[in-house]
Amino acid sequence: MVLLKISNLKKSFQGNEIALRDVSLTIENQEVIALLGLSGSGKSTLLRCINRLTEPDSGSIKLENLEITNLNKRELRKVRAKMGMIFQEFNLVNRLTVLENVLSGTLGVTSLWRAVTRAFPPNDIFRALELCERVGISSQVEKRADQLSGGQRQRVGIARALMQNPTLLLVDEPTSSLDPKIGREVMTLMCEVARERDIPLLFSVHDISLAKDFSQRIIGLKEGEKIFDKKTSSLDDKSLEQIYKIESGNSLLTSESVN
Amino acid sequence: MIQKMAGHINNPLRKRNVIIPRYIAYGIILVIILGMSAHLIVFGTDWKRMSSINEVFETLFSFFPNLKFIPEIAGPLFETTLMAFWGTLLAVILSIPISYLAATTTTPSMLITFPLGRAFIVLSRSTHEIIFALIFVVALGLGPLPGILALACRSVGFMSKTTAEAIEACNQGAIEAIKSTGARKLVQFFFAVVPQVFPIFLGNAIFQFDINIRRAAILGMVGAGGIGLHFSEQMKAYNYDNAGACVFAVVILVILGEVISNRIRTKLIAG
Repeated sequence: MVLLKISNLKKSFQGNEIALRDVSLTIENQEVIALLGLSGSGKSTLLRCINRLTEPDSGSIKLENLEITNLNKRELRKVRAKMGMIFQEFNLVNRLTVLENVLSGTLGVTSLWRAVTRAFPPNDIFRALELCERVGISSQVEKRADQLSGGQRQRVGIARALMQNPTLLLVDEPTSSLDPKIGREVMTLMCEVARERDIPLLFSVHDISLAKDFSQRIIGLKEGEKIFDKKTSSLDDKSLEQIYKIESGNSLLTSESVN
Repeated sequence: MIQKMAGHINNPLRKRNVIIPRYIAYGIILVIILGMSAHLIVFGTDWKRMSSINEVFETLFSFFPNLKFIPEIAGPLFETTLMAFWGTLLAVILSIPISYLAATTTTPSMLITFPLGRAFIVLSRSTHEIIFALIFVVALGLGPLPGILALACRSVGFMSKTTAEAIEACNQGAIEAIKSTGARKLVQFFFAVVPQVFPIFLGNAIFQFDINIRRAAILGMVGAGGIGLHFSEQMKAYNYDNAGACVFAVVILVILGEVISNRIRTKLIAG
């Protein structure tokens, strides 16, 4: 069954800056997909259109055959609850504890009263603690989020996304705020938990070696256009150069600087 | 452009053609202010009715606090503090929905609710507490209740404005992350915005309480309860030493309030 089907997605921002031109793609089963492209190529916009944090101009997005682009607010919230998102800047609520941040993954299906009084169902609390253990932060659950290191914070971000019991993980530059070693650890963890749950993981990334090492499929974006969508093993220098070539043509990135 | 002129560089931050007119303008403004002030103070004071310098000082010293009067005003002093407390609490509660409406990041509609929230703030901040007190005294009669309402109306603008600004300065990423879990707007607000804003909010509330003690002290002069009534009574009876005692007691109360609120605020910021 097709999990996610995007067709002819278009988005431009005010000032006529075109972010996405006619992007179509399909995700069918569990796989790790890297979104490659220069800054401003539309990677983040594509990810954010999928859960409509950014409203697309036209085109269609179907999650499990449900058209997302024309949902009303209530229906949209239901769909958002099914998609876990992980952010470059972690986006935790700093003054709350790690456990509260992980539990915030259930807020799409929790009542206002339960959220304010922190009266989460015991089952959710149990699951949150389990997830903290899985991502390796179980000794930190009562600490405030701003007391953690960058790598630990991203682990909290992963646990929060998993708390949603998502059918899909959307990940925006997960390692850009981390040092290379910690970044790789976080990537490894994310791919593991996605495989354990049999859910696809779509992540945008600058670092080509990360894309090569962790993904099974690569989607290349250039100036809002999808110009590459193949298995990672078939990514060669020529296609890389295409993805990273500047339109005017005079400032080619050499394969050396790209790697 | 860098211009080199005979061994020295023209300072681009002090261009002659800019700086000379600027100092001339400063000079003109100073002369105008001095002229107006002379008119106001030198010609506006009734020098003939003013007695000799000795008598002026004598009158001033007749305000020296009569400490024996203080036990008599202990009750009204306590009433003043309570008025400040309830006025502040009311303002704090009202400021939560108003700041929600007046913050660009949370307001439901920039066309309707945002101007509404801002209107409350402007109205509250531009009207003096004495005016609010006069209105409520006319409407509700004498006593501390109109005073409490006047203080609430006066403080709610400051509380809402600072809170709305704190809401706008929040880390938007965290709010977006909560939004992406499918949480609705109010849940986002209470889970992602409130924890970020709360320390600032509480600090400002304590600050307002401190200020409201000062404000509450004069509201009695228009019949809205508290120590102010006794002050104006003693003034009218020419008991200047008792009036001085009222002022002295208020000063002590305000200092106490400031010391305590500073302590609490420092603790909050540290914790």
